[in-house]
Amino acid sequence: MASVSIRNVRKSYGPVEIIKGVSIDIQDGEFVILVGPSGCGKSTLLRMIAGLEEISGGTVAIDDRVVNDMPPKDRDIAMVFQNYALYPHMTIADNMSFALRLKNTAKSEITAKVERAAGILGLGPLLDRFPRQLSGGQRQRVAMGRAIVRDPKVFLFDEPLSNLDAKLRVQMRTEIKEMHQRLKTTTVYVTHDQIEAMTMADKIVVMHDGIIEQIGAPLDLYDHPANMFVAGFIGSPAMNFIPGSIGGDGFTTEDGSRLPLGGRVPAASDGRPAVYGVRPEHFRLADEGLAAEVVVVEPTGSETQMVLRPLGTKAGREDRKRELTWVLRERTGARPGEVVRIAPDPALAHLFNPDTGLRL
Amino acid sequence: MSRPLRKLLDKAGMAVCVLLLVSPALLFFLWMLSLSLKFEIDNGAYPPILIPERFAWKNYTTILEGNSFLLYFWNSLIVTGAATLFALLVGVPAGYGIARMRAHKSAVVIMIARMTPGLSFLIPLFLLFQWLGLLGTLWPQIIIHLVVTVPIVIWIMIGYFETTPMELEEAAMVDGATRWQIFAKVALPIAKPGIVVAFILSVIFSWNNFVFGIVLASRETRTLPVAVYNMLSFEQVSWGPLAAAALVVTLPVLILTVAAQRQIVAGLTAGAVKGG
Amino acid sequence: MSILTSSDRVAGAASVGRTKRLRPSYWPFVVPALVVVVGVIVFPWVFTLWMSAMEWRIGEEQRFVGLQNYVRLATDVRFLEAMGHTLVYTALSVVAPLVLGTAAALAFNTKLPARGLLRGIFVMPMMATPVAIALVWTMMFHPQLGVLNYLLSLVGIGPLQWVYHPSTVILSLVLVETWQWTPLVMLIVLGGLASLPTEPYESAQIDGATAWQRFRYLTLPMIKPFLMVAVIIRSIDALKSFDILYTITQGGPGTASETINLYLYSVAFTYYDIGYGSAIAVVFFVLIILLSLVLLHLRQRSAWNSGDGK
Ligand SMILES: Nc1ncnc2c1ncn2[C@@H]1O[C@H](COP(=O)(O)OP(=O)(O)O)[C@@H](O)[C@H]1O
Ligand SMILES: [Mg+2]
Repeated sequence: MASVSIRNVRKSYGPVEIIKGVSIDIQDGEFVILVGPSGCGKSTLLRMIAGLEEISGGTVAIDDRVVNDMPPKDRDIAMVFQNYALYPHMTIADNMSFALRLKNTAKSEITAKVERAAGILGLGPLLDRFPRQLSGGQRQRVAMGRAIVRDPKVFLFDEPLSNLDAKLRVQMRTEIKEMHQRLKTTTVYVTHDQIEAMTMADKIVVMHDGIIEQIGAPLDLYDHPANMFVAGFIGSPAMNFIPGSIGGDGFTTEDGSRLPLGGRVPAASDGRPAVYGVRPEHFRLADEGLAAEVVVVEPTGSETQMVLRPLGTKAGREDRKRELTWVLRERTGARPGEVVRIAPDPALAHLFNPDTGLRL
Repeated sequence: MSRPLRKLLDKAGMAVCVLLLVSPALLFFLWMLSLSLKFEIDNGAYPPILIPERFAWKNYTTILEGNSFLLYFWNSLIVTGAATLFALLVGVPAGYGIARMRAHKSAVVIMIARMTPGLSFLIPLFLLFQWLGLLGTLWPQIIIHLVVTVPIVIWIMIGYFETTPMELEEAAMVDGATRWQIFAKVALPIAKPGIVVAFILSVIFSWNNFVFGIVLASRETRTLPVAVYNMLSFEQVSWGPLAAAALVVTLPVLILTVAAQRQIVAGLTAGAVKGG
Repeated sequence: MSILTSSDRVAGAASVGRTKRLRPSYWPFVVPALVVVVGVIVFPWVFTLWMSAMEWRIGEEQRFVGLQNYVRLATDVRFLEAMGHTLVYTALSVVAPLVLGTAAALAFNTKLPARGLLRGIFVMPMMATPVAIALVWTMMFHPQLGVLNYLLSLVGIGPLQWVYHPSTVILSLVLVETWQWTPLVMLIVLGGLASLPTEPYESAQIDGATAWQRFRYLTLPMIKPFLMVAVIIRSIDALKSFDILYTITQGGPGTASETINLYLYSVAFTYYDIGYGSAIAVVFFVLIILLSLVLLHLRQRSAWNSGDGK
């Protein structure tokens, strides 16, 4: 077990900077998830922690020891790769014990550790098989077993679930979480799936274009996104953004509708342009608020999702962006074409600076 | 009713086509076999005889009885074996290193080596061997066969290691393996099919090589192709024993070709290499 | 803000300054092969170039003569004739296997029973020991006793003199070369055919294209890059061809089938005129490289154009 400290880390390939100065503190035993759109540099950062990529600037320290120049084999970490990277010519048992055998661990100890890991993951009957004889989910477990057997300071995962089907993904999510609660090994986990991040992490690091947008606990990010990127990235369906300006004690949309701010008007901001953010589940029918036409109603049983088009916007391509999403827990008789008037609970509304994207 | 019939006809037509296509090869080797099993009279008969009434097994026994033939067989075995083993020894790691360093430009040297006529290596190396006093031993041939075998092995292994996933080796790095352990315990076992392909092609092209032998071999160090050629030009033997000798020389290769045709096809189309 | 950036720079500079690499270096894997390649491949190239500037006969004094060997080449009628033979031989030995190999590949690209075995047999000529097959061809070419003239007599042709007459010797040798190397073209084209998508064929079939039209407007343009690879490899191999020619004719009758390679052999190892032989080797080498470059250039273009069906 260990802490990991990432300080001003940078990574360039030639003239192109991929990671632009990133700092993260990871406590002993913490489960940290790096999340962000594909191509934002998550894997690169993880691979720098592993020692698979050179660090162009800044430091990575494991247990307060800077490991920038330490080759991966000396870092005492274990990594689970996206494609599992199981050795095809070794049995499952040999795959799991490979690292221990390299260290000349005693036979009895190897057997004991492999059996323990196999027990945790339910791999017992498969130990003599080869990777090609296993299903995707089983391979995924073997890859984790290989990490567990090592009993390393840090677990690193790079999108370990992205090759599994939806159902298995949900199941493995739970298993990984349980495994972490049991072993309490410091874990850094990369995914582009914000639901995975929300459900599994102690702490989420939202990355975008090589920088960190925000670090925080899942619900913190959900309730208090630091900027429009995080607000839009976390939560599904995504947050609605309505452009307009601050005026009096409320918010005026571009077409003149009024939305409440509940007295949380920032100082000296009358008439200032802003973006009003509302999560789809926070809209309510209201007397005052935004008038919009129902375009699509999508009941899923447990909830109903609606696409609304604010009055005054056309059906054209440009105005598609203006469309709003509303999620209702209760069933509704609303039909396409109907006009509704909606507004959020003012306490749950967000305000952003349209130029910087920062929260106001 | 007519559709299945038409399909059947199509199939039959295709089969005839293919039979036609393999017949030049098939008939040639059958004729070779026939020549090698006929007595002098039958080989000189007109019209030619395909299957003689009496088989001339003695064509084979005479060439095998002459103890020099066994010597030449042994020479071929040594030269091909040594040149291939040495090529694997240096070529497999080199293919690995080049693939991992992404040093594709260095493969150009291999390409050019493949394009160079074997004869132009012979002049300088002949002088070198003469100067070193190696002529008369098998060493010159073993060494010069490396011109053929090393490029084949490197070329095929580069292609093979490029297709094996880097992720596996990274996993091994994280698991604590040194670069030698990664090579020996992860990369090499996975590349086994590629090594088999490189081995087979290297053996075949070295075994078949003729041009190096006619210059470098003395009477005692001839390899089989040179020995058979010399039977033609100097000893004026009749067709039967000559065809038998030719067949014996090429038989190992033919058997290997049919048995390992899948590997051979894979290797030839991957690099489209040829020795000499 | 300024504090942040300056400390940043320090950290960056510190790690750049260290030279130790995380990844292992792969050089140790390459060095042994490098030594071999330099010894048996690069050294001969360089040494040949040097010898070509010398007057050097085995057993005699050698002296530096500059470009004199090359001047001599330009006026050497036997060399120029050999050059002509080489070009004719090469051109024919590219075209014939290309046509036959493509046809064979189309036939093999179907679901055949025992396809592997058939392919194995088909490939045998190119893997067999060249000297061995050349001996048998020599017997088959025999004007009186050879089986080829007998077969021709069955259809009322002949008898031909085959490799024993200057007018037919090159064509006869091309026949052997074609028999030997059609399989290689077939394998390359077969690889190309295997990589083709199936949808265009299905849609062409719906559009009512005939088999010939499908070949002409779909298959041929799509396999053009593979055909170019076959042309390149075939050209190089035909230029270098030695075993078959040497065994069957040794360049004869007279010098009617003498190629550059055979002439090079005679000069260097029959007359032991090492300097002049080296000059031939250099010219020959340059010729091969030039041809390869031209063909590679064409190949690039064909890859560009392969989509538009021309
Ligand atoms: N070896 C490399 N050379 C150049 N650019 C690279 C290399 N590896 C990754 N990149 C670039 O770095 C960026 C981040 O990649 P990556 O860390 O894999 O993203 P993520 O895992 O977040 O999807 C991408 O834009 C990618 O194109
Ligand atoms: Mg990634």
